[in-house]
Amino acid sequence: MSEPLYRVEGLRYSYGKHFDLDVPELVIDHGESLGIVGPNGSGKSTLLNLLAFIDAPDAGTIYFEGVPSGPESLEARRSVTMLLQVSYLLKRTVFENVAYGLRLRGEMRDASERVREALSWVGLSPDKFARRMWHELSGGEAQRVALASRLVLRPKVLVLDEPTASVDRQSSYLIKDAIDRCRRMFNTSLIIVSHDYLWLNTVTDKLVRMEEGRLVEYVAGNVIHGPWEETGERLFAKRLSDGQVIVSARGTSLQSSAILNPSTITVALEPPKNESALNILKGRILNMSDEVSTENVLVEVVVAQIHLNVRVTKSSAIRLQLVPGKEVWVVFKATSLQWI
Amino acid sequence: MDYIWQGLQQAAVLIFTLDPETYSAVITTLKVTFTSITLSVIIGVPLGFLLGYFNFPGKKQLRMVVDTLLAIPTVVVGLLVYAFISRRGPLGWTNLLYTVPGIAIAQVFLILPIVISLTATAIEGLDRRLRPTLRSLGAGRVQLALTSLHEARFAVLIAVITAYGRAISEVGIAMMIGGNIKWYTRTMTTAITLETGKGQFSMGIALGVILLLIVFLLNSALVLLRRRTT
Repeated sequence: MSEPLYRVEGLRYSYGKHFDLDVPELVIDHGESLGIVGPNGSGKSTLLNLLAFIDAPDAGTIYFEGVPSGPESLEARRSVTMLLQVSYLLKRTVFENVAYGLRLRGEMRDASERVREALSWVGLSPDKFARRMWHELSGGEAQRVALASRLVLRPKVLVLDEPTASVDRQSSYLIKDAIDRCRRMFNTSLIIVSHDYLWLNTVTDKLVRMEEGRLVEYVAGNVIHGPWEETGERLFAKRLSDGQVIVSARGTSLQSSAILNPSTITVALEPPKNESALNILKGRILNMSDEVSTENVLVEVVVAQIHLNVRVTKSSAIRLQLVPGKEVWVVFKATSLQWI
Repeated sequence: MDYIWQGLQQAAVLIFTLDPETYSAVITTLKVTFTSITLSVIIGVPLGFLLGYFNFPGKKQLRMVVDTLLAIPTVVVGLLVYAFISRRGPLGWTNLLYTVPGIAIAQVFLILPIVISLTATAIEGLDRRLRPTLRSLGAGRVQLALTSLHEARFAVLIAVITAYGRAISEVGIAMMIGGNIKWYTRTMTTAITLETGKGQFSMGIALGVILLLIVFLLNSALVLLRRRTT
């Protein structure tokens, strides 16, 4: 198949006068998964609605497997399905909710089995839940039923808008697990908007960042926001709540934000001696995750109130015996911070 | 006070001995309202759905007309229908004046706006996530419309019960179009009006109790349904 799954050209969408989405080009290949990060109101959900063929763009074309497609293209729309941040369940039983998409497609012959299978993927016992009504579910259970009603369709593309942002921890875990299962079993492409950077790293091949309606190349990053203080000749400093200080080369304004690439940070078990880097900060490991298709591990370290993602090789993670909860020192140069 | 007390006692007797005259009015009322609500649902639910579901030029104005008709006085409907179906009227040949179907048809004019307006409100009040959800599950246009109506079913039922409540308790139309003919077009409300006018409270109270009971049942259904819609 030579045509990519998605090819987007000159996509534009406006909300009134104040917001414009502008994506001149975007390509997603078959089986490839895309993660989208960015601040609230940057247009992430708008882009998802367009890619899921729920809304039509004001201008531009989305080629789905080479065919120009939109909300009117039933075939494309039936290959792509989207899960909202807070799902809407139909006022029916759980079984009928999950079977709804199959019913639309006239695939009710083995529906009972498929619905039971999908419910078990999201950690809901079919015997216990299939006959429940929509109003007899907790928020997390409802979100999982909604996910099951997408997974049962074995979609080519699963579009997810902050799927775990408003559910409890247990549901969040089960949702991520089910999404990962879907990706592996059906080679489903994922398009995910999430603030959960570590999770995005484990399930997506490519990360992009959205800012004011535009896609910018993702600088794998820790964003460190101002305000800063001037210190010394050519340096800015940010004082953290525990008294430690982040030092950066002088930026444009004391209110600016800076990006710190996880690859430019190193982790040590003791404060290093004879170190030229100005930033040597004490922190604690909160979380660790495997990066897809690399030999690296992403380590989330909490320094005072700031979360820093640090990229280390698997071998050094093993050598240093890094585990969540361990106290470590993160080291980076003042010039590693890139002003944005 | 004695006459009220006596009236209550006699009312109980009328109810429990299944007094034919009392129950004739009850049955006429049920015939009339069942016919009028059936016609109103057949016409009003589809129209209300169209009004709520689609956007078109003039929608707001049309909506305003329908909403204004919600408050139309029963006697005005009675007067207009009377003018049309009386012997001299353009529809005099239908011989609907002073008949049960005549009352039912006139009631349709009274409650149709309620069914249309509340159905439209029910459709407009559907969750904003419904449309993207159905689309993303692969619904086509027709499926989208049908499922939307199905999702609004409790709210539409509330519209129907509200309209029925108006039909069963109105008196103006039943009086003007039905003529309050004993054993034939006398309904519960016209019977109460007449009996009270004659100073005979017992049948009025008996019918009042039955009417209250029906309204109470309707209202209980509404309370249950409202819970479903949230």
